[in-house]
Amino acid sequence: MLVPLFGFLKGDTIGLVVLVHDTDRIKDLAASLQEAASVRVKPKTYAQVYRHGELLDPELTIAEVGLSALDRIDVIAENI
Amino acid sequence: MLKRDDWLDLARKLDWDFSYVEEREVFPEEISGSPWLTAETWKDWDEPYRTSYTEYVKNQSIKEASVHAVRDAVGKVEDFQKHDPSWINGLKLHAATLALAEFAAVVGNLRAARFGRDSAWRTTALLGALDELRHAQIPLLIMHELVRWDPQFDWTHKFFHTNNWIAIAGRHLVDELLITSDPMEFAVGTNFVFETGFTNLQFIGLSTMAHAAGDRMFEKMVKSIQTDEARHAQIGHPVLQKIIAHDPKRAQYLVDKWFWRNWLFFAVITGFSMDYLTPLKHRTQSFKEFMQEWVLDQFKRSLEEMGLALPWYWQQFLDAIDTYHHMVYASAYTYRATTWFNFALPGPEERTWLQEKYAKTWPLFDPIWEQITNRWRKSGPGVEWYTHGATPVTFCNLCQLVLCGGSPERNSAEVITRGARKYVFCSKPCRWIFESEPERYEHHKDVVMRILSGEAPGNLFELLRYFDLTPSIWGKDVAGGRYPWMQLSKG
Repeated sequence: MLVPLFGFLKGDTIGLVVLVHDTDRIKDLAASLQEAASVRVKPKTYAQVYRHGELLDPELTIAEVGLSALDRIDVIAENI
Repeated sequence: MLKRDDWLDLARKLDWDFSYVEEREVFPEEISGSPWLTAETWKDWDEPYRTSYTEYVKNQSIKEASVHAVRDAVGKVEDFQKHDPSWINGLKLHAATLALAEFAAVVGNLRAARFGRDSAWRTTALLGALDELRHAQIPLLIMHELVRWDPQFDWTHKFFHTNNWIAIAGRHLVDELLITSDPMEFAVGTNFVFETGFTNLQFIGLSTMAHAAGDRMFEKMVKSIQTDEARHAQIGHPVLQKIIAHDPKRAQYLVDKWFWRNWLFFAVITGFSMDYLTPLKHRTQSFKEFMQEWVLDQFKRSLEEMGLALPWYWQQFLDAIDTYHHMVYASAYTYRATTWFNFALPGPEERTWLQEKYAKTWPLFDPIWEQITNRWRKSGPGVEWYTHGATPVTFCNLCQLVLCGGSPERNSAEVITRGARKYVFCSKPCRWIFESEPERYEHHKDVVMRILSGEAPGNLFELLRYFDLTPSIWGKDVAGGRYPWMQLSKG
């Protein structure tokens, strides 16, 4: 099932709609948002995804962490 | 024959007692506004201009002749072709967003001309309606000449009739503020907040820059409009004073609500023009400096004089002066094909100027422009799509503008669930306005909702058609990426 999420990448100027499958992993979500924002923010090698300040496990799926349509997620990326 | 002073007050204050209908039937609260007060309470209402219809016609005729004389002298296509392309694109933004908004203000004024609670108010509002008709017609007339040169100017008339995302946001504001507000809310939101609070940005700020840029036509247009606005804006104070006297909580609510909604609108329209689309050599002050000098001080003084508090979100507003229009401009630049005007890429000199003017926050934005510039360098000139986003963006369910609140460090968007639907807001004030009157706003569909419900296409190219844009019209980089400084720095 496709899940549209409101994604905010730290360093960016705008929120984006990220479309993911509920079987996608959290790390895939981070990569999707970085790619979508890459015109403004240079992608970095390592990224973490947060929901209401809670760090989400990158190996879990969208369904497993309970993200649903139009939830807000924040991605903080850095080069390590 | 009676002298002016012998008949004017009688004519202006021509109210009468109703004998076979109730006053509430003549002025229902639903359309006249709240709090509902008796005619007796309103009878001392007054404004300082006290213009008679004869005087109005005479003055306006002179003003019109003056605008036409300037148009004859410097309003032809070849006159505009001399201006910097960035400035011309600022004109397109202004012309589209303001011309028919002024026409909507005719409706608001006419409602006050019928349902305003005092005859002097109704008379001034009637003249205000005629003013606003003129303010719609002047830009339509001036820009119409330019359509044959640059078809993007066609959006002066077309803009509000489209489903373009900025037009959806514009209608959401204009429909509520100008078309549907009762005369009391209109007086606070339009006459007090919009016209006395914010329009100095246009009439003084942009007019000064137009002068510096040598655009005498734009300068004349806004100055001529200003003289009208200065008169009918006087409706705001005395109406607000009545609301404060009888329902101070509502007075504060209306001021807080409309200050925020107007701020977002002006930040985009004027912020873009002052800090990005006016050529650097013609910039006299930054948007922030104009806001501080011409809006903040005056607005704070007005609120203090009237015994009102600053809006509860004042600190957030002060922070936004340093960030909001930068957030929207960088975002819109990378989605420029979704608009009808072209964008300038800030080069090294512009970025140094912005660093000086926004010392605290510009370091958060500079890396974004560096990334965009690097992508231009990589693609070479003319390849618009390499510096353009393809992923759908998000929109606030109150202001309908993109989610660009806060700063690059932390976007201020908030999501709430109401019934079976989620709503997202760009900021706390937008959420607060929505939650204060949810029944007024909850059924409006933003662009994302239209896409998810199948009403609008999800594919960006298809969406551009939904936005009424074609390749010859949609926004591009003003130089197609061909900037001398880019070549120099590359070498």
